[in-house]
Amino acid sequence: MSTLTLRQAPPERLDFLTINPLALSRLSKAEAERLPVGTSRRGVSLGECFSVALDGSDTLTIEGGLERLDRVGAALSEGEIRVAGDVGQRLGEGMAGGTITVTGHAGPYAGAGATGGVITIEGDAGDHAGGAVYAARAGLDGATLIVRGAAGAHCGDRMRRGTLVVGRAGVYAGARMIAGTLAALEVGDDAGYGMRRGTLLVGRHGRLSPTFVETGAHDLVYLRLLARHLRVLSAEHAALLERPLRRYSGDLATIAKGEIWVAA
Amino acid sequence: MPAWVKGDATDADTAIAAAAALLAAARAPVIAGLSAEVAAIRAAYDLAGRIGASVDTAGAAGTYAELGALSRAGALTTTPAETVGRADAVLVVGETPWRDPLLKRLAGTKPVRGRAAAADRTLLALGGAASGAALACPADQGLPQALALLRAHVRGHLAGASAVADLAARLAAGRYVALLYDPAELGAPGVEMLQGLAIDLNDATRAFALALSGPGQDRAVVPVSAWTTGQAPRVGFGRRVPEHDPWRFDAARQAESGEADAALWLASVPVAAPGWLARVPSVALLGEPAADAAQVVIQVGRPGRDLGGVLWHEARAALTYRPASGPADLPSAASVLARLGERLAASRSVPAC
Repeated sequence: MSTLTLRQAPPERLDFLTINPLALSRLSKAEAERLPVGTSRRGVSLGECFSVALDGSDTLTIEGGLERLDRVGAALSEGEIRVAGDVGQRLGEGMAGGTITVTGHAGPYAGAGATGGVITIEGDAGDHAGGAVYAARAGLDGATLIVRGAAGAHCGDRMRRGTLVVGRAGVYAGARMIAGTLAALEVGDDAGYGMRRGTLLVGRHGRLSPTFVETGAHDLVYLRLLARHLRVLSAEHAALLERPLRRYSGDLATIAKGEIWVAA
Repeated sequence: MPAWVKGDATDADTAIAAAAALLAAARAPVIAGLSAEVAAIRAAYDLAGRIGASVDTAGAAGTYAELGALSRAGALTTTPAETVGRADAVLVVGETPWRDPLLKRLAGTKPVRGRAAAADRTLLALGGAASGAALACPADQGLPQALALLRAHVRGHLAGASAVADLAARLAAGRYVALLYDPAELGAPGVEMLQGLAIDLNDATRAFALALSGPGQDRAVVPVSAWTTGQAPRVGFGRRVPEHDPWRFDAARQAESGEADAALWLASVPVAAPGWLARVPSVALLGEPAADAAQVVIQVGRPGRDLGGVLWHEARAALTYRPASGPADLPSAASVLARLGERLAASRSVPAC
């Protein structure tokens, strides 16, 4: 297990796009320490902020993460990254495979455009968790994103594929969703605003847009399959499906093939 | 050249030296505001590229609401002149557009060109104070929500006797529909919904959106930034290449998080200075100077008044040269930025780009 241990808080935001187990396995300790990770005009190298211990394995542990660590695990294709602490924006952006675990909180745009793999955030996530970054075609795009704590506004914005499991989400959860599944114990106002297709499963919700219409109670085989799928990720969310469910269809402002399941 | 350092009047050289020292000492300087003529906006991007600063604008909230929706859903847009000449149904969304001078022109004229020529013009309102509107539909839950409900009616997914159903019918019956809005008031989800509404209306008639974003110069910054960096305005040059990141290079966020440690505020066209400016060591180039606006304040010529300059012309929806109405002996913001750049290049603390 390779380990990066924080020595001192960096004076600027760091970009960890190039720091992953596969890239580090090809480098010597000295080479890794020289990797530029700064983003300002002065810049810093990995070795200035972290002490580096490499063993060539496919597991990387970052001890002492912090809010300024951007793009941790971005474009990850294999292996495992574990962060003890917080991370900044774009955790696992565009990742295609592997696993990322963060024990603290994450900044905005966690899991944006991720097509495969599993991201777990044990604390809270910022705005746009599983949402699309500026000008991107889609948010979460096939990967699995789990936020144990609360997520901010626009969680799952423009998500296209995959599963997003979140404790509490803010306003506009699942807004402009293209497809995919978002399960939350609680969401704020305007869940599913402008959604085209896709499924929201919620325990409690804020104000629901009048462009969603109730379509009654259903007992579908699909829901039992979803429960089995969710149980692996979070028993609490799977339990929502054991309660009586009301289904809302929408957003009627669009093609209206989306649905919100509300557990009673 | 009137200039102030820490509130005390001083000469130009002292002020530029103080400004250069302040910027040279910074790790992550920010050049913000950019409420200025095109030459000054160009000079600001040039300076940012030379010193590795990031750039943000005064009206970024509205600009990014607009650009975000444009990049994802596209846009059907028109100009003020076309709206006056052709529109027989004008939907005013929200409060802010009612304060725009265009509304007076629309209320006092009829369309003269195109398929609705000589027809009466109807002003319709969604939310907002609508004294001159033929039909006003409330937006109690918010403008994006009201737009969604309206769009659901236009699509035929919802029906019934209600104000919003009437409004949908009026829009569908229009021969040339203009949707007026302020992007900052509407936000990105609302703008995208409004553009979707325009697209849906175009199944049966003509409909276009017209953003009224007020007197700021963000509309000039967007093309300058695009032709200079290939990106939208919020660009950072810390790594020697223009990186676009609307979240990371939000100047207010950078100031609050302590990442930005110096700022240059450019407002040769007056605009309210943000609160965060007081929290970082700052230089201000102002068309309407206030000695205490920043640690170093330099008065520059106001384009269109003290000197000529290319500005965004709201009514023409184009970049237009404005000659000086009363020429004054003040330096242009572009020349001050160039002198700052030369001064910084001469000091060795800043790496050359």
